[in-house]
Amino acid sequence: MIILFVALPLVVAGILPLVGRVSRRVVPDLAANATLLFLFVYAIAVGRPLIADGPALQHLSWLGEAVNLRLALDGFSLLMLVAVSLVGLAAGLFSVDYMERYGAKANFYALLLVMTAGMNGLVLSTDLFGVYLFLEVAAIASYALVAFGLKHDELEAAFKYLMLSVVASAFILVGIAVLFGMTGSLGFAEVAAGLRELGAGSVVGFAAALFILGFGLKAALIPFHAWLPDAHPSAPAPISAILSGLLIKVSGVYALTRIFFNVFGLTPALSAVLMILGTVSVVVAAFLALGQRDIKRMLAYSSISQVGYVILGIGIGTPLGIAGGLFHLFNHALAKALLFLNSGSIQQATGTRNLDEMGGLAKRMPFTAATTLIGSLSIAGVPPLNGFWSKLIIIIALIQAGHPVLAVIAVLASVLTLWYYLVIQRKAFFGQLNEKWAAVREAPFWMTASTVLLGLLCIVVGILFSLAVKSWILPAADVLADGVHSVIQPWGF
Amino acid sequence: MIVQTALLIGLVLFSVLAIVLRDLLRAAIALAVASVLLGIIFFRMGAPYAGVFEISVVAGLITVLFILTIALTNKAEEVRESRNLGWVFVLFFLAFIIIDVLVMRGLLQKIPALPSVAEDGTFRDVLWKGRTMDLVGQIAVILAGVFAVLALFRKRDNHD
Repeated sequence: MIILFVALPLVVAGILPLVGRVSRRVVPDLAANATLLFLFVYAIAVGRPLIADGPALQHLSWLGEAVNLRLALDGFSLLMLVAVSLVGLAAGLFSVDYMERYGAKANFYALLLVMTAGMNGLVLSTDLFGVYLFLEVAAIASYALVAFGLKHDELEAAFKYLMLSVVASAFILVGIAVLFGMTGSLGFAEVAAGLRELGAGSVVGFAAALFILGFGLKAALIPFHAWLPDAHPSAPAPISAILSGLLIKVSGVYALTRIFFNVFGLTPALSAVLMILGTVSVVVAAFLALGQRDIKRMLAYSSISQVGYVILGIGIGTPLGIAGGLFHLFNHALAKALLFLNSGSIQQATGTRNLDEMGGLAKRMPFTAATTLIGSLSIAGVPPLNGFWSKLIIIIALIQAGHPVLAVIAVLASVLTLWYYLVIQRKAFFGQLNEKWAAVREAPFWMTASTVLLGLLCIVVGILFSLAVKSWILPAADVLADGVHSVIQPWGF
Repeated sequence: MIVQTALLIGLVLFSVLAIVLRDLLRAAIALAVASVLLGIIFFRMGAPYAGVFEISVVAGLITVLFILTIALTNKAEEVRESRNLGWVFVLFFLAFIIIDVLVMRGLLQKIPALPSVAEDGTFRDVLWKGRTMDLVGQIAVILAGVFAVLALFRKRDNHD
């Protein structure tokens, strides 16, 4: 029942505002988090047996007649589903305490679940229009969530995000229209087969350019990143965690790579474009992050830089590079969600996001300080944490594929990453306790619990990395490495 | 062919008007006219359902919503726009036309003639049997929109 990943959050979201009239806090907390927990357990427990022999297709019947609900689950989509439900669950748990002060909790969870359903639908979709449709579902929910605080800068950030996102959608829609016009179909399998028959390189090039503009905007790769450093810090912390941890990867990286690898088939030219975009994002965003004084803005620029690593790894196109990119995608989702949640804890405790005003918070907030350290070191690529292994794989893949210069750049940018994360540590947590914060206390239970959960996962995935790579990452990388063959035959319904 | 060309030119003309007109009411009406022309083009090219939806929803319903909104909001504040915007638009428009012509010339020779499918009687089949997943997506879009409106127009709580 793959459809559950889309239908269940939608149904619960539909019920929540009604339930919210009866119980303002407990029931919405419980219902939303139980749903996210169920999806996570379901993905972990059922996903792998389901795809043991080839991708799983959704078959449904209604009153004895087959319903044409086209959904497919393969290794790549399963990895994304696990990431979505895991980070979604952490953000949901964090919201139990954090969203108290915003009010309208049932409404918040409803939007969160709709966004989850949108991301899951995008990941499971088997045709181009489905990708566009669910992209919009997740995006519409995210506009409202960015503006959820209703203050001036939140509304402004949401408006900027909305405007650039609409431009992205327009490019994506035109790209889809071009492919539809050429092949007369929208399904990944049919379009892939049709393009191979036509052998129309120029059309693929034109559509690919449109998709790079569109999905590049969604993923906030470097020339298209202007909206992200405003939108992500303005949202409530759990939403920042989902936006940076998941949404840019699902609606940007996933959609882009799924179409480029499985529909177009990666050509050397596309590979070069991806690698250049990735490298530029890695380097430029790392420098931009260094100059920030607002902790959430620094984390937002760091997201752009790390998505650059993901695109760089996947863009190499070798099985090892793809595996490294996907592993880094998963690791960054964990670590960046952790860091954004912790920035929320700090903001709630101190009322500021300015690093210069903080100092010595480690004495008052030991759990927050410890988990932030884990997340920072993980993203910066310090062994034995998970981020180290994924960056190592990407760098080895770069050298193997004959790009030693890019490998050196990746290593140097990693040093920059470590630098600005140490700036956060030094300014926020180490040193003398600023007298202003003498009364600050550790974050409430659920906020701490969710960050500790993510911190532990960063360590566990780092230690058991070979198991994680073998059982979750390689099946996903195989789907991409097989190129068009992994959809044409198996998804031919 | 002449009628078709005239319709297409009219479509582009009224779309441009919808963008460049400063008066919102006139811009909304220009958009409605453009969409009626698009609807007629759909009819002439054998896509009656697309035509019906284009004219009823885009030219009808959405225009009514626009005009209602314009009527309900007061126009006390004059929004000042930069003079350069006009030039930027013209430049973009010309660039787009040039790219469009170049790309389409390249594409047209390669596009295979798709078999034109008769649409009669298949509308229900397409919607309910062919694109069932889209209906789930539509429901999700509507839910997202409703919750977004509920969240953004809620009474502000006393959060700091």
